[in-house]
Amino acid sequence: MVLRRVKKDGFEYIATLQRVKKVGFEDIACRKEESGKVCGSLKEFPEDSVDKHHFYLLEPLVWEQWLDVCPFCTTALRRVKKGGFEDVATSTRRRGRAPQFIRSHVPPRTERMAVDQDWSSVYPTAAAFKPASVPLPIRMGYPVKRGVPPPKEGNLELIKIPNFLHLTPPAIKKHCAALKDFCTEWPSALDSDEKCEQHFPIEIETVDYVSAGTSIRNPKARVVTLRVKLSNLNLDDHAKKKLIKLVGERYCKDTDVLNITTDRCPLRRQNYDYGIHLLTVLYHESWKTEMWESEKTEEDMEEYIWENSCSQKNAVETLLRIKASENVSNVTKEELLASEVVKNYRNSVIALKNEGETENTMSQYKESVKKLLNIQALP
Amino acid sequence: DLMRVRLAGSRADSQRPKTNPLVSISDEPETLYKRLSLLVKGHDKAVLDSYEYFAVLAAKELGISVEKVHKPPKNIERLTLLKSVHIYKKHRVQYEMRTHYMCLELKYLTSSTAAVYLEYVQRNLPEGVAMEVKKTKIEKIPEHIQEPVWDTLPSVEETEVKS
Repeated sequence: MVLRRVKKDGFEYIATLQRVKKVGFEDIACRKEESGKVCGSLKEFPEDSVDKHHFYLLEPLVWEQWLDVCPFCTTALRRVKKGGFEDVATSTRRRGRAPQFIRSHVPPRTERMAVDQDWSSVYPTAAAFKPASVPLPIRMGYPVKRGVPPPKEGNLELIKIPNFLHLTPPAIKKHCAALKDFCTEWPSALDSDEKCEQHFPIEIETVDYVSAGTSIRNPKARVVTLRVKLSNLNLDDHAKKKLIKLVGERYCKDTDVLNITTDRCPLRRQNYDYGIHLLTVLYHESWKTEMWESEKTEEDMEEYIWENSCSQKNAVETLLRIKASENVSNVTKEELLASEVVKNYRNSVIALKNEGETENTMSQYKESVKKLLNIQALP
Repeated sequence: DLMRVRLAGSRADSQRPKTNPLVSISDEPETLYKRLSLLVKGHDKAVLDSYEYFAVLAAKELGISVEKVHKPPKNIERLTLLKSVHIYKKHRVQYEMRTHYMCLELKYLTSSTAAVYLEYVQRNLPEGVAMEVKKTKIEKIPEHIQEPVWDTLPSVEETEVKS
């Protein structure tokens, strides 16, 4: 193999020359230097006398510069400018045309992270999970058979789930330290529920809703509930009874709490104003005494009153008859009513009617009746 | 007495000038919240657990007393639908939607503290989680309910109620 500097038409090549036998037409060849075998044939022709019919299919491609790599042995082909018995010098180059945009492989950021770094600067806000930024060996997903869950690189499950990497305890403490200036203290005088009740009797309950969706509005947010204890309002006996009758179901007897729930207005403030208006109206109306209220019958009474009831009449009548049959001097009704036994009877009847029938009340009634009618217990 | 106590916080601040230029102090009395109840709903229990840790820590750091944290039982809604577009009634597919709840109850907040806490906690709500906030405000009895108004009004002749 002879190495020779070839200068043709202003181009200079260092070519390995080989005599190619001229057999009419020469083929396009490329020759691998190391192994010395020929994998194809190369033809040199002056450019103006190209006759394609007898050539290999490779040739026009080389001449038209579509082919610069030999398909037989993938070494690059270079065209020598002038024909003759000079070979094309081959040079081994990178196989194929390398794509323009190859990113070189960079090691992940985790390898350069110190153990005592400031994590709130890595994840200052809510962000997706980046496996190259989180130095934890996390695995997530359904494990393969007799294997482990998939690693964090390219793991969609880790990206989908909301992460709290931006809310680590030191980050929360930093945020709260900055927010503390905007908070005010609760007055220390109101440290128990009873004191709150005493100074601020009215409780107003409102609900806010936060959710993701096409709209931030929620129609349930306009409901306002007002709660007040009737013992805190300035009401007398008649007013309280009238208020309870007016309000009906909204009053709870056990806890003495009046609940007013308003949602008839479209805005929350309107509902609150309406609730206060209702409370005002109820209060003032209950202090009024209408003319028809004097027609209140026994069925309308909330609690049992013994005076002027049939129980009182019956008891007094019975006692009078007993006294008359014993021929005692006429005792007056007032004396009878003022006597001990009748008072006992009265208390037991009131207890029975108002509190209901219990062991205590029944035994009390029995005792009082026995004393009233002077009966001894049956043996 | 009580009005002075309520404004005590703001008055103390004006005596020691604050270096934070963003804080503005106003004279209007603050509304008081006896109880703030946060109900958080989500599909994933682990997310709610992390959120609970965050909310409780934030409340502690801001000086808010946490009354209790409890987890109401989850609610599963199941649907049984036809698997195929047309016919094949015997082959169905079942879906379910699980809603987990977490309730956080806070006591005794002023309106500015409540606003700060709620904004912080709501801005960091994870995606796919909803929240309901129940605020119980306490108020004095308004002046027009202190005394019945019939005593102060000039006496007017009672008109007959016309039915």
